[in-house]
Amino acid sequence: MALVIPAIIIFVIVFAIMKRVNVYNSFCDGVKEALDLAISLLPCLCAIFMMCALFEASGLADAFTRLLAPVFSFFGIPQELTKLVLIKPFSGSGSLAYLNEIITAYGADSYIARCACVCFGSSETVFYISAVYFAKVKTKKIALPVLCVLTATFLSTVIACLICKVM
Amino acid sequence: MNVIFTVIFLASVAVMAFTAPDKLLSTLLGGAENSAKMALTLFCIYAVWLGISKLAEKSGLSAGIAKGLKPVTKRLFKTDSALVSENLAMNLSCNLLGIGGAATPYAVKAIGELEKEKNSYAQKLLFVINATSIQILPTTVIALRAGAGSLNSSDIFLPSLICTAISTVTAVILFIAGNKIWRS
Repeated sequence: MALVIPAIIIFVIVFAIMKRVNVYNSFCDGVKEALDLAISLLPCLCAIFMMCALFEASGLADAFTRLLAPVFSFFGIPQELTKLVLIKPFSGSGSLAYLNEIITAYGADSYIARCACVCFGSSETVFYISAVYFAKVKTKKIALPVLCVLTATFLSTVIACLICKVM
Repeated sequence: MNVIFTVIFLASVAVMAFTAPDKLLSTLLGGAENSAKMALTLFCIYAVWLGISKLAEKSGLSAGIAKGLKPVTKRLFKTDSALVSENLAMNLSCNLLGIGGAATPYAVKAIGELEKEKNSYAQKLLFVINATSIQILPTTVIALRAGAGSLNSSDIFLPSLICTAISTVTAVILFIAGNKIWRS
């Protein structure tokens, strides 16, 4: 699996040489595009990150977690995972830190940790992605797609907790 | 997003005004600093993969891949643009290979192209697919577990695959169905 990335890169470069493409110049063109992209995303990213920092620092995130814990346990999601499941849609690095905490606290092979890993691995940072994807888009009517994704993610979380009991 | 942002932002500031007013400014600055770091990280990821993909684009390689995937992209995303199909093809293949970081720049480019066509349906569908994570191998998680002394760190491979497949399929079905109801 580790060889996939080098193999792709070698293949692309060799193919480009065969087609007589100027490798250095094309690569620089690509990096230029990367710079433009990153800069155009910065304003929205900055606003969202400030919001997340405030949400966490004000203690509202914790209060929200406590409030939702009974709902989560009703669906068979262990209480220990509540915060991870709630933070994941907002912040990849935040949830990664929390996942690490769970693994060290309960042991890598415990049910809680395995469950946390599957939830983490099979979901994405929904709000973060929506910020990046729709940063330059005029239509801001993104309630439906975000709702679909959140519903599906919640379903897969419930199923993850079930599957980890048997597998 | 406007509503969510305003509500959370205002409520958090209001709470902090009572609990820790002195920490408010440092929290905001910290958030901004993290976003700058994130933008830098994103630039690095984009630089690597857009550099490579520019080579694939100029040599006609990605056009070839896109041609192969054309029936799929045309039916699902309702687009005829070759450039969009190209970026879509690269995005989907990166996702399946589990290099999610590489998939994002292609998606962002495809969305930019779709904006020109005013094809917001395809933009949203692309978001739905990417936001439900269709990776086959969750490399980060496996590495974390191995580091914490797991006896069989990759035994979560199959459960993860099942869950990620379920979430993607569910979200796409919900979206397509919801989109039809919304319009009629």
